[in-house]
Amino acid sequence: MSTAITAARHELLASVRAKAPYALVAAFLGMVAASTFIGWRTTVTVTAIYERVLADGYTTQPNPFTDVSPLYYVRNTVIYVLLIGTLMAATLGVQSALRDRKAETAALIGTRPVDARALRTGRLLGLGILLAALVAVTEVVTWVSVGLLVGGPLDAAETLRIAGFGVLTWLLLVGFAGVGMLSGRLLHRERTALLAPVVVWAVIAFVVPQLGTAARPVSLLNPVPLPAQDSGAFAWLSHALAPIAITERFKTASGALLGSPTTGSAAASALLVALFAAVALTAAILVRGTRTQGVPHE
Amino acid sequence: MSETVTLARKELLDLRRDRVVWIVVGTLGLAVVLSVVVASLDFRAQLADYEAYAAQVKASGSGVTPAAPQLFPLQLLRGGMEYVEVLGALFALMIGYGAIAKERSRGTVDLLLTRARSGTSIVMGKLLGLAILWAVIMAAVVVTALASVALIGGSTIGWHEVGRMALAGAAGWVYAVFWSAIAVAVTTLTRNSTAALLTLLVLWLVIVLVIPQIGDTMDPDNQVPGGLFKALAIAKPDEHAVLHHFATYESLRNGLEVSSLSKLYERFTFATLGIKDIYNGQSLAVVWDGTFRYVIGALTLTGAALTFAAASGRRIHTLRRS
Repeated sequence: MSTAITAARHELLASVRAKAPYALVAAFLGMVAASTFIGWRTTVTVTAIYERVLADGYTTQPNPFTDVSPLYYVRNTVIYVLLIGTLMAATLGVQSALRDRKAETAALIGTRPVDARALRTGRLLGLGILLAALVAVTEVVTWVSVGLLVGGPLDAAETLRIAGFGVLTWLLLVGFAGVGMLSGRLLHRERTALLAPVVVWAVIAFVVPQLGTAARPVSLLNPVPLPAQDSGAFAWLSHALAPIAITERFKTASGALLGSPTTGSAAASALLVALFAAVALTAAILVRGTRTQGVPHE
Repeated sequence: MSETVTLARKELLDLRRDRVVWIVVGTLGLAVVLSVVVASLDFRAQLADYEAYAAQVKASGSGVTPAAPQLFPLQLLRGGMEYVEVLGALFALMIGYGAIAKERSRGTVDLLLTRARSGTSIVMGKLLGLAILWAVIMAAVVVTALASVALIGGSTIGWHEVGRMALAGAAGWVYAVFWSAIAVAVTTLTRNSTAALLTLLVLWLVIVLVIPQIGDTMDPDNQVPGGLFKALAIAKPDEHAVLHHFATYESLRNGLEVSSLSKLYERFTFATLGIKDIYNGQSLAVVWDGTFRYVIGALTLTGAALTFAAASGRRIHTLRRS
C-alpha cells in the first residue's frame, strides 16, 4: 500500500512539474470555459430566428427551445471533454509511462524490491487525483458561468446534475489515461506511444459510431444526437457496436444529465463508460511491458 | 539544390523503412474503403425505403410517385474525405515530427551538416522527401477511393470521376504538405521533443477539430436532431430569407470556419466531388467560381508554412543534443 501511495505522490509531483502537457490542459480548460458562452450565444440567436420565422408566418410549430434547462448552454462541454479532455488524459498517461524510461531510471527502479503492480496502481491513482482536480475546476467554471448567464446561482438539482456530469467525465478521462499508460509501456517510440491512443480514440469516436449510424465522421462532434438508423444492417451494427462506442455512450449519459435531447438509455450508457474505465485501468495495471524498459527513441 | 535532393532521397529511404508510414497508408486506405461501404449500405437502405413507400403509394391507387433517390458515385466518398481531413493531418504531423526528431534522438545533426551547407538545406531536403511521400500516399488514396466506389458502390467510373478525384487528391497533397511543414518547423525550433510533439497535437486539435466544431455547432440548423428548419417545416428559399436577417452572425460563424485550413480543404474537396449539393453536377468553372478564394487561402497558408519551415532551418542547432 505504501508503494502505491508513494508512487501516487510522485506521479502528482512529476505531472505538475512536467510543463509539456500544459498546452493541452490550457486548451481543455479554455474551451470548457468558452463552451457555455458559445452555447448561450447560439441559443439566443436560434430563439431570435424562431421569433422571426413566427413573425413572418413561416411556421406554426412551437419553439423547440422553450423550457430548456439552463444546463443546455453547456452541451458543448460534452464535446470538448471527449475531444480535448480524452486526448489530454491519454497524453498524461503516455508521459507517466515514459517518464522513467526517459530519465533512464526504469532499470534502477527494477533493481529495488518494489511490486510493479503497486507502482502502476500508484501512478494511476496519482493521475486520477490530478484529473479529478482538473474536472473539479471545469465543473466550478461551468457552474459559475451558467449562473452568470441566467442571473443567479443554480439550484441544488442543477448543481447535482453538474456534479454527476463531473463524475462521468472523470470516469472517461481516467479510462483514457489508462489507455495512454498502456501504450507508453508497450510501445518503443514516444511518437507511436502517443499516436496509438489517438488512433484508438479516433476509432472509438468516429469509425465505430459511423458503422452504426451511417453518420459523417465530423458530424459526430455535434452535441445534438443523430437520428437513429432503423434499417437492417445499421440497426444490427448499432446494437452490436454500442458497448464499444464509448464516446457516444458518454454523449448519451451526459446529455441526459445536462437536459439535452438524447437517444438511448442514459443509465446503461453511464454504466458502459464506468466499465470502460475499469477495463482500461485493470489492463494498465496488469499488462506487463518488459520489452520496453529502455530510453524511447524516434 | 543537389544537396537538398540528396537529403530528400535519404529521407525517403528512411521513410520507406518506417513502420509508422505503412500504418498511415493502411489506416487511411481502410478508412476510405470503410466509408464507401457505409455510404453504399446507407444508399441501399434509402432505396429499399423508397421502393417500399412507392409500392404503398401504388397500392393506394395514387398516381403521384415521389422521385427515387439518385446515386452520385463521388458522394459516397464524403466520409472518406473527412477521414483524410482529420487523420491525414494527424499522420502528416507525426511523420513530419519523426523526420526531425529522429536526428535529435540519434545525435546525427552534426553528421548531416557535414553534407549540407545549411540547416535550411536539411529542412528543405526533409520537406521535399515528405512531399514526395505524401504525393504517393494521396495517389494511393485516390486509386483506393475510385476502386471502392466502383467495386463496392457498384458505380461506373469515367474520366469525369477520375479528373475530379485527382483534383481532390491534389488538394489533399497540399493539405498534407502544410501539416508536414508545420511539424518540421515546430520540431526544429523546439529543444524538447516531447514539447514539440504535444504542441503539434494541440495545433491539430484546434485547427482540425475545435475551430470547425465551433462553427458547426453554432449553425442554427444544427440545433435539433434532423435540422431546425426541417423541424419547423420551413422550405429552403424561406430559410435563406430568414437567415438573411442574421447576416452578421452567419458572417462571424463562417469567418471562424474558414480560419481553419481544414475547412478550406473540406469546402474545396466537397465542391469538386459534388458532395455539397449546390455543386453536384456543376462544371469545374462553376466549382472554381465558388471556391477559388478557399484555394487561394489554402495555398497562401501552405506557402507561409513552407517559409516558416525554411526559416526554422537557421535554428538547426536546437536539434543538437546538449
